[in-house]
Amino acid sequence: MMNSGFDRRDFLKVLGWGGAAVALSGCGNGSVEDGKETVVSYVETNDYMIPSISVYFNSTCAQCDAGCSITGRLREGRVLKLEGNPDSTINRGKTCGLGQAGVQHHYNPDRVREPLLRTGSSGEAITWEKAYALIAEKTKGVSGEEIAFLSGGVSGHLKVLLGNYLDSFGCKNHFAYEAIAPAVLRAANKKSYGVEMPRFNIGKAKVVLSFGADFLGSWVSPVHFSQQYAQFRKGVDGQRGVLIQVESKMTLTGANADRWLVVRPGTEGILALGLINALGAHGVALSGDVAAAVKGYDKARVSKDTGVSAEQIDKIVALLKARTPSLVLAGSAAEGYAHGSQNAAAINLLNQVLGNVGKTVEVAEVVPFPQMAPTTGNTAALRKLNDGLAAGKYKVLFSYAANPVFTAPGAMKFKDNMAKAGFKVVFAHYLDETALQADLVLPLDSALEDWNTQVPEYLATCAQINIQQPLMEKLHANTRGMGDILLALLKQRRAEEYKGFEDYYAYLRGAMLKNKAALGGGKLDDDTFWNETLSKGIVKLEGRVGGLSGRASAAGLTLPAPAAVDAQYPLQLIPSVNASLRDGRHTNQPWLQESPDPLTTIVWDSWVEIHPRKAAELGIVEGDIVEVSGKNGSIKAQAYLFPGIHPDAVSIPLGRGHEAMGRYAKGYGVNPFQILDPVFDKETGELALHETRVKISKAGSRVIVVKDEGVVGGMQMGKKIAVRVSSDKVKLSEEV
Amino acid sequence: MHRFLRLSVLLMGLFAAASTFAVDAQTPALTTEDDLGPAIEQPIEFPHVRHAKDMQINCMYCHTYARRSAVAGIPPLQKCIGCHQYIESVKDKPRIKTLFEYWDAKKAIPWKKVHDLPDFVRFNHERHIKRFYFQQNRPVQEVCGYCHGDVKEMTVARRSKLLSMGWCVSCHQKEHPVSAEGGTPVGNQVPWYSMKKPPADASGKVIKAKGPNDCSVCHK
Repeated sequence: MMNSGFDRRDFLKVLGWGGAAVALSGCGNGSVEDGKETVVSYVETNDYMIPSISVYFNSTCAQCDAGCSITGRLREGRVLKLEGNPDSTINRGKTCGLGQAGVQHHYNPDRVREPLLRTGSSGEAITWEKAYALIAEKTKGVSGEEIAFLSGGVSGHLKVLLGNYLDSFGCKNHFAYEAIAPAVLRAANKKSYGVEMPRFNIGKAKVVLSFGADFLGSWVSPVHFSQQYAQFRKGVDGQRGVLIQVESKMTLTGANADRWLVVRPGTEGILALGLINALGAHGVALSGDVAAAVKGYDKARVSKDTGVSAEQIDKIVALLKARTPSLVLAGSAAEGYAHGSQNAAAINLLNQVLGNVGKTVEVAEVVPFPQMAPTTGNTAALRKLNDGLAAGKYKVLFSYAANPVFTAPGAMKFKDNMAKAGFKVVFAHYLDETALQADLVLPLDSALEDWNTQVPEYLATCAQINIQQPLMEKLHANTRGMGDILLALLKQRRAEEYKGFEDYYAYLRGAMLKNKAALGGGKLDDDTFWNETLSKGIVKLEGRVGGLSGRASAAGLTLPAPAAVDAQYPLQLIPSVNASLRDGRHTNQPWLQESPDPLTTIVWDSWVEIHPRKAAELGIVEGDIVEVSGKNGSIKAQAYLFPGIHPDAVSIPLGRGHEAMGRYAKGYGVNPFQILDPVFDKETGELALHETRVKISKAGSRVIVVKDEGVVGGMQMGKKIAVRVSSDKVKLSEEV
Repeated sequence: MHRFLRLSVLLMGLFAAASTFAVDAQTPALTTEDDLGPAIEQPIEFPHVRHAKDMQINCMYCHTYARRSAVAGIPPLQKCIGCHQYIESVKDKPRIKTLFEYWDAKKAIPWKKVHDLPDFVRFNHERHIKRFYFQQNRPVQEVCGYCHGDVKEMTVARRSKLLSMGWCVSCHQKEHPVSAEGGTPVGNQVPWYSMKKPPADASGKVIKAKGPNDCSVCHK
């Protein structure tokens, strides 16, 4: 320590003078920067394009398949912000966080900008002419059976073009793959109600009993359901709706529930049948076959199997009886087992017993153009493709809007099998794991630069076709729209038929104008109709209404007893779906990486959720790096103690753990897809996401978990602001 | 005493060092109000004198965004061509040739900013033009000239005012006549959201008001 009589106060004075000196010399015009920046003017422009004044264009969000309509705000020709389009009956002017991040998909610095041809281990930039010529050469003389086209869910005119391209080869191998899709539910709904996706009217229900359906976070159409949920909470006839969530790992919806019930993983169907049985015992009329099917599911057995107490079952039954209509939802947590179809069927049966079919489970309208109806993705398609690839059946493989190298379970060895295809073309926005395996990578326009039409799978109150249109000029000169690429490829095959269409825009406009009358523009001239369509961004239609069959039957309903505890792998792995990251296709959007997980508040990393009791048993504390290992590999991540999970389960969020896909995705977190056991639903062949069994062990080191929640956050600063009440203590009489 | 001396030596040293550093950090030297900004080389040496003085073209004919938006902007290239495609007499001049080269290539001209305020300052052209040009009917070249100087005498525009905060405030502190209908000045300031004032008070005197003085008007 300096001891010269020069104390702290003097030192501060000196500092102050120094500051004043800087400020003085900063006087004058030192900060006006003349002649340094460039002001770029337009070459030609519309009158409404005025610098610093925003203009708005309507389009459709492409971040997930829900089909929300968006309005983009532009200034100086650049899109700055996306908001919901109020005209859409799906999202009514709102968007979710995922949708908001859409601009980061567009401006992402890691987009592919040139067609890339593999030369050895690297890619060489080539021209589009060369790329098209190469595809023509590689597909020449190849039969339809030797071509496979993998895609995500597709709909609208893109689906028509894709279908026509494959038709030109006589190819039937279109595999629509979505890593996390309610495919088991679709099949179960088809059986129970006669349609794959009925309309779930949450707003009309007085009780919602959801079996792991995270409808506020990531299930089917979360923005739409969130608004329905608000209506449900306001209540019908002044009765605030009651939400009961049954699941093994708390989701965002579970966190919002009035009553959250933890259930032993996989026993959701048993609980549903137990509830039917109990309803029967309380005087609800059951048909003969239903009564017979649920006969064995008495309270004692159900309670033992599921871990839900008999008292709880009584409370739920009383609530369901007292308040009608109710609504029962089967979510991804119930679907993800080898008996997922049976679970979903049991849950749908409960809906029917409660008389909800036709009241809160309604028939959805259908867009009257079947050729544009969505081809929804599932995992059974991937399995079929994978088998074909393993057998070396395909000479040419196309892949669009799917990243199976990242999302397929490691045990399927998709990457190795993909290498067996002769020539692999990947249409990509980024060099993701699948694009890196390609022979030819074709760069796509972003969703804010491309033309398209979309028919959402889940339609809200009317049938509609969504228009996707460019919000701004292309950022990169050498990217192309998927529609333009398909059109160019079709011209190679059927030049005569498609020569009239200069580009996909011309095709789209032509196709829409041809059906002008059916699209509600019969009285308008072509230009007016087209301009109105583009400015609205939505075409609302008189939908074709089918009927619900309402014939959920108990026939063939057999639920297995809960699986015995595996001594070697005692825990169930629940790969959880985060509302922002979903299956990992948008992990490279930093807003999504940095927005905290709603339940754990963790950012930029993966974690393993463990019940505090289990953690204490294993001597694990928060931040311990734990190894989660199963039959098909192991991953290491930080532990997070979370009371909202079944003690015999651990959960790791999906979406992170990329080995490619750019600076914001690569190297953050771990990928639980890689260690999933390849178990499939017995009826539909869908991958059973929740059927993986694991063990966990401490891997030695410990880290500080990076999260928004403070060290005392879980305790609400010690002030008990919202007190947690265990569900046994909830008094039904006070609730209803 | 000894202590005081030591401190003052240190003080002087630090003061000098800090001032030198601060001056070094910014290339333009201290200027006075009469100084011009640096001469700036533009892709095309645009003759303001020809257009604004000889041809008597209204500033806002080309800088059309100034009255519509916060920024004056640069006219789109199509505006230049709109006239020049019919002016045969100067078509062979090098500057016009360059102009048409940009047009043929459909490339924007990369003009350099001459009056570039720091990003934390928000100056609204529209508001100033509304107040002084449309409401008070002053000549356009005078109104633009308050901040941009006598552009009609320039070839390439050059900054001729300080554009420092003190300079802005010096004008905002002056009392300007309020000429539009309705309202009264609040605290002797023109409320930033409205220019509607009675032209005269009950005694027939012209009402005057100062420009707004809130930080948030310019530093948003």
